[in-house]
Amino acid sequence: MTDNVILSAQNVSKQFGGRGDLVARGLARLGLARPRPVVRAVEDVSFDLYKGEVLGVVGESGCGKSTLGRMVAGLLDPSEGQINGRAPDANTGPLPMQMIFQDPFSSLNPRKRVSDLIGEAPRVHRIVSPSEVNAYVADLMDRCGIDASYRDRFSHQFSGGQRQRIGIARALAVKPEILVCDEAVSALDVSIQAQIINLFMDLRDEFGLTYLFISHDLGVVEHIADRILVMYLGRIVESGPAEQIFNDPQHPYTRALIDGVPRLDRRRTVYEPIKGDIPSPIDPPKGCHFHPRCPLAEARCRTERPVLRDIAPGRQAACHLIETTAIEGEPKWPATKTG
Amino acid sequence: MTAVLDVRDLDTSFVSPSGTIAALQGVSLTVNTGEILGLVGESGSGKSLTGFSINRLISPPGKVVGGQVLLHGQDVLTLGEEDMRQLRGRRIAMIFQDPMMTLNPVLRIETQMYDALSAHESITKTKARSRAIAALDEVGIPAPEDRLRSYPHQLSGGMRQRVAIAIALLHRPDLIIADEPTTALDVTIQGQILALVQRLCRDRGTALIWITHDLAVVAGIADRLAVMYAGRIVEIGGVDDVLDNPAHPYTRGLIDSVPARGTRGKRLNQIPGRMPALTDLPKGCAYAPRCPRATAACEAMPAIEPISDTCAVRCFHPLTGEAS
Repeated sequence: MTDNVILSAQNVSKQFGGRGDLVARGLARLGLARPRPVVRAVEDVSFDLYKGEVLGVVGESGCGKSTLGRMVAGLLDPSEGQINGRAPDANTGPLPMQMIFQDPFSSLNPRKRVSDLIGEAPRVHRIVSPSEVNAYVADLMDRCGIDASYRDRFSHQFSGGQRQRIGIARALAVKPEILVCDEAVSALDVSIQAQIINLFMDLRDEFGLTYLFISHDLGVVEHIADRILVMYLGRIVESGPAEQIFNDPQHPYTRALIDGVPRLDRRRTVYEPIKGDIPSPIDPPKGCHFHPRCPLAEARCRTERPVLRDIAPGRQAACHLIETTAIEGEPKWPATKTG
Repeated sequence: MTAVLDVRDLDTSFVSPSGTIAALQGVSLTVNTGEILGLVGESGSGKSLTGFSINRLISPPGKVVGGQVLLHGQDVLTLGEEDMRQLRGRRIAMIFQDPMMTLNPVLRIETQMYDALSAHESITKTKARSRAIAALDEVGIPAPEDRLRSYPHQLSGGMRQRVAIAIALLHRPDLIIADEPTTALDVTIQGQILALVQRLCRDRGTALIWITHDLAVVAGIADRLAVMYAGRIVEIGGVDDVLDNPAHPYTRGLIDSVPARGTRGKRLNQIPGRMPALTDLPKGCAYAPRCPRATAACEAMPAIEPISDTCAVRCFHPLTGEAS
């Protein structure tokens, strides 16, 4: 199995804030300013990414999923721990990782033509020779479903879905092995979203890509992912094969998350899975981060942090109560019905 | 059941130097007491514009150019500006997508709720305060007395939306128009807000129009469903009829586009192409260029015709009685 590991994260943490610059530290020492709060965006996260799989990362705002994605893509350095993947060769050749962003409006340079947006990186990294760039760009545009005759247009001349296709073509231009998709379909309309999801699946087959697919939309993740990491306030609370996670969630948070998703087949009924708001990551609750909202929390949950442990082959969860909680059938959350 | 709102052939246009853009054309819908109507469509389909037109919140160059909006039989489009101001907020309330934009960032919640109350009735500050506390309590805000002193930025997104709902409910309106109020919220918070709105409307018999792009959300909350495409309602009917036996090919396409249980790893049935711009609508049915069932007949505009007691569809070739 280890041969297939294309990227491995070990005890990765990321903190923001804390030690300010010299002036801020001086002021804090003199009691003239409060020290800057520390946000532990990602805390002690470990996982392996296998070649060719789609690893979904789900969780609500502030759970650290985007920070994790940015660390994997190399846009942020971990504060602690390490991410082991293939390093790019110095300045030339393919880049192993690329990222696709949520907002297709702000992630493309408005002053560049499509041919430059897609063609610049492979030229700089000498993946194609200058004379072949045009044909290379046309081929990529074609594969991503953009008419190659639009190569001289600017990004504002395209719709949201087409811009996202340009972003995907740009990422693929440097022949990556791993694509980190951070909410890559969230800003798109339903019918366009389906087109982009299908494109991701086609490209995966065509180029043998591995995806880290970050999304708050569980429907999309369930559709596309092979394995899933569920995050809550910086920590992984559950991980495992997508089918098992969705059919048999073990952690109370995962359960609430899945039951809370509106479904087409659930009519005139809304479940209110958990009370309360997500706590601030500046001052997370002690013990299990989820305990203030957890319907099953016990005294132990308030003081002792549950470790992420194996609960079945390929499955892990961080909850003290897993043996004692059985789940089946319809959700037990309070439901409100219309009429 | 009596119709609280009866919209008939509503037309809204935008006048620009390059010509008039018909953004809404012939929109007709009714909402009964205590009923929740889901208004679904993609960006640019005119769903929000419908809500704004009903409340006469369209500003130039936009203009409602035709049709009637009957609230308990009275046409609000013929009301004077002052009468309309009295009606907005009191009989028709709106909840918007982004509560940070609807709440004034420099006023305390208390001030904003007092302003909303005193706009429509003469009320003392003490009385207004107790009404505000009761309203916040009703929408599930803990420690409402303390929260009244807060500014909007001190509240979370879910709490802000609860405040916006509390303000909308202050005058016990006949109709609430909710424009994507949960789109910016997390799943667990969305569940809380959906349950809250559903409970409040059911208990008080308030009619609600829930505007959204998310079919699954309206499946959970709505009694009836209207699907919009390029400024027109293409299908309207009971939620079960529309979702289980969609008659319009666009509704079918939309439902198939949603990733759901049982589609794992399979290709989604995508709709090819995208919605045409309103400046460049095809002749006849706007969906025809993307539609697998389109024929030469679709070059004319189909009328919206009833196909059963509860459903109506705007299509020459509706999918009737065919298994999906």
